[in-house]
Amino acid sequence: MAILVEDLAPPRRFSLLTAIRRNPTIAFGGLLLAALIVMAILAPVIATSDPFKIAPVNRLRPPSERWWFGTDQFGRDVFSRTVYGARVSLIVGLSVAAFSSLLGLALGLACGYFRRIDGLVMRVMDGLMAIPSILLAIALITLTRPGLGIVIVAIVIPEVPRVVRVVRAVVLSIRSQPYIESAIAGGTRNAKLLIRHVLPNTLAPLIVQSTYVCASAMLIEAGLSFLGAGVPPEVPSWGNIIAQGRTFFQIAPWTILIPGTFLAVTVLAVNLLGDGLRDRLDPRLARRL
Amino acid sequence: MSTPPVLEVEKLVKHFPIHGGLLQRRVGEVRAVDGVSFAIAKGETLGLVGESGCGKSTIGKTVLKLIEPTAGRILLGGEDVTHLKPGAMWPHRRRIQTIFQDPYSSMNPRLSAGTIVGEPLENFGIARGRDTDDRVARLFERVGLRPDAMRKYAHEFSGGQRQRLGIAKALSVSPDLIVADEPVSALDVSVQAQVLNLLIDLQEELGLAYLFISHDLAVMRHISHRIAVMYLGRIVELADKRTLFTQPLHPYTEALLSAATAPDPKRRRQRKRIVQGDVPSPAKPPPGCHFHTRCPYAIAECRVTAPPLIEVAPGHHVACLRRPVGGDPGPLPTA
Amino acid sequence: MTAAVNAILQVRDLHTQFNTLDGVVRAVDGVSFELARGETLGIVGESGCGKSVTALSLLRLIPTETGRIASGSIRFEGEELTLLGEEAMKRLRGHRISMIFQEPMTSLNPVLTVGTQIAENVVRHLGVPWRSARDRACEMLDLVRIADARRRLDEYPHQLSGGMRQRVMIAMALSCDPQVLIADEPTTALDVTIQAQILDLMLELKEKTGTAIVLITHDLGVVAETTQRVVVMYAGCKVEEAPVEVLFEEPLHPYTRGLMRAIPRLDIEADAAGTRPRLQEIPGLVPILTRPIVGCAFAPRCGFATDRCRVEPPPIVDAGAGHTVACWEVERVRASAP
Repeated sequence: MAILVEDLAPPRRFSLLTAIRRNPTIAFGGLLLAALIVMAILAPVIATSDPFKIAPVNRLRPPSERWWFGTDQFGRDVFSRTVYGARVSLIVGLSVAAFSSLLGLALGLACGYFRRIDGLVMRVMDGLMAIPSILLAIALITLTRPGLGIVIVAIVIPEVPRVVRVVRAVVLSIRSQPYIESAIAGGTRNAKLLIRHVLPNTLAPLIVQSTYVCASAMLIEAGLSFLGAGVPPEVPSWGNIIAQGRTFFQIAPWTILIPGTFLAVTVLAVNLLGDGLRDRLDPRLARRL
Repeated sequence: MSTPPVLEVEKLVKHFPIHGGLLQRRVGEVRAVDGVSFAIAKGETLGLVGESGCGKSTIGKTVLKLIEPTAGRILLGGEDVTHLKPGAMWPHRRRIQTIFQDPYSSMNPRLSAGTIVGEPLENFGIARGRDTDDRVARLFERVGLRPDAMRKYAHEFSGGQRQRLGIAKALSVSPDLIVADEPVSALDVSVQAQVLNLLIDLQEELGLAYLFISHDLAVMRHISHRIAVMYLGRIVELADKRTLFTQPLHPYTEALLSAATAPDPKRRRQRKRIVQGDVPSPAKPPPGCHFHTRCPYAIAECRVTAPPLIEVAPGHHVACLRRPVGGDPGPLPTA
Repeated sequence: MTAAVNAILQVRDLHTQFNTLDGVVRAVDGVSFELARGETLGIVGESGCGKSVTALSLLRLIPTETGRIASGSIRFEGEELTLLGEEAMKRLRGHRISMIFQEPMTSLNPVLTVGTQIAENVVRHLGVPWRSARDRACEMLDLVRIADARRRLDEYPHQLSGGMRQRVMIAMALSCDPQVLIADEPTTALDVTIQAQILDLMLELKEKTGTAIVLITHDLGVVAETTQRVVVMYAGCKVEEAPVEVLFEEPLHPYTRGLMRAIPRLDIEADAAGTRPRLQEIPGLVPILTRPIVGCAFAPRCGFATDRCRVEPPPIVDAGAGHTVACWEVERVRASAP
């Protein structure tokens, strides 16, 4: 009477090279992002000079062997400032992604599963999403002091509703699946249902969404710093490097172009990673060879 | 009978509201289940057969309290569970388990087979840890699967094997009744035979009762003891299997029997009657007898009066105005 | 074998394959059959046997990113379909060869009226003005017994029931008078009483229009009641072919026999009172199509299998009266109890 389960296809063995070949977007985006993170962490080692040191005698030098990306109007090495600037962008991007994911997950699970609070919470979320983060950041900063923490808070608040929406949609669709009913009929109660049956299925869309939040957060931070509402001007951030380089753009374009390019490339890397993950993880979009 | 029936349902009603318009007001209702009563004894299979929209699946879910009934009573082993809230309902779930139709979406894709099958055991505190694993292994063997497959994921099994997993899970807490909602409809013929035989064997060995829901009369013929035919939320005929197939009284039962295809070329074009028309929507059922719009024997009164389900012969219930108690069981003259 | 003169469709040694993450799936592995003018041919088998892929291959509808017709010939009225370009195939589809699918809900465009969808097809293939196309659409709806056809032309698919939608699909498929209609599980998604109506309708239409039908199904009952000849498929191969009465009277392939015994039947008179007869099972599982099959595909599950069956692929044996079987042990099977 025992049926052989061996008759089924053997599980595929994992090969890194094949994985890279099949998911070029994830591989490329992921590697690029990893390289940027490594660059940011090793900033003190990579930077050729002190990013804070002002030396007006060297102002607005074009890129050369000594200053790889030239200098700005205060004589600071653009290369070193750019490398350090990566830290700010990545810290903001990653922490906003992390916090908004956690909060979004909690709220999304609650709304999707317990229908009674859903109406109220979603209306609040809609309201929050309507607030542009730049204005919110400026408002918060006038109330307190400018700093990295405030910037992060200001960006998290309008991003959370987006995550909540995604999680909630997934939870709603899972809720109507037969295996949830099967679990309820088998005596599983709410807490276990949420943690064991609902939560794991929300993680994939959540991860994808968080990559988009990360990219968005980096751009917003750059915008805030550009406007002077982000990190303090001496702290190198791609946004404020660009801001400070604005006045001298015509004679020293490298002060804007270099950090701008880095910003674009980082955002691109994160978006590629997100797109690749989304295509790979969505069972309907997943294509074969 | 001293022991109460494993499941008894009295005048069960389930309406789903329809919302429409700008303000989403309640504009009508879908009368999915419209006053259904039956009882299932220990070790018995009651088959619920009917086409789409007849309410059979809704009855299955309502009886399991996955949906709350609108009216009527549900008794499990004599205890009234109709109005119990989820928390209070929980201990009763040990006695009534379920198997679903779709072997692909009724298992959580992220859990191992062993975890899925053993979950009810842990939920009710019947076993824990190593003990659960032992019991699960034995359940696997009972349904014809190798115990070392416990660690595999659900998607690594075929459709028929997944249904076996579902049966193993349902059996784990030794219930009195299993609600099987189209358990073999999504399976291939050869696999269907395996699963049906398994269900019959288990019933005889363990004294289980089944509420077997299906649209397929031929499957019913193998697994049921008694069969209830449903149409648009009502039971139109209820009888033991043999009587239903050899002496159907309700025109709809007759239509179903005549429409069923049989693997016999000689039956071709010998159909007594193919009933015309479409199944009406359960949101707007015809007045009086729901079937009158398609019934070849309908008379004027059928449009007005809804026939009650009455016992016209011992153990044989029909809801048809033209089938009175003690009437002639032969074919009806067309109106 | 039907006389080649009368054959409107000839399939020879068709091989259709798919590339998947697990390797190459040989969905159709050397299938040959013929369809005569005006004949109804049934292709029956369980899921994964390749019957739907065969149908899609006939019309070259296999998705090109993953699959292809690896080899074989499909001749329609003497023309070799595997060599035609996509433009020529488009002219053929819906015109001389039509197809209807299982799910009427998703086969119709939800934003166009029923009349528009049928008329579009007529205009495209027959080149007539819109007004005549609409008239033709109305004619077709009448033909498929939809009451009040003129009014229905302007309704959207969601306003119709499942059975009605399937009738519309049939109307659309027949609107340009095709020589062949391929029906892939046309009634599987419908209720039993509606299924009976649709099958009846298809038979009636066949008499009226003389269209040849290839009916693909897993349901032996449907095959028995509507087809004239049957092809039984298993794991991508044709295992048996016979006129319908012959197949049900004396199935020769062990798989066909197994299927016939495994089907639940309504003939309750045969049971002793109060018993519940067991169904005969076919032990084992369908083989995985990514692994190369050695010998007969059914051998692992066959009660008659010999060592030769496990090693050498079986020949096609002619059992007389248009009945062919792919089996080494035909005589033994024939001699054994039914």
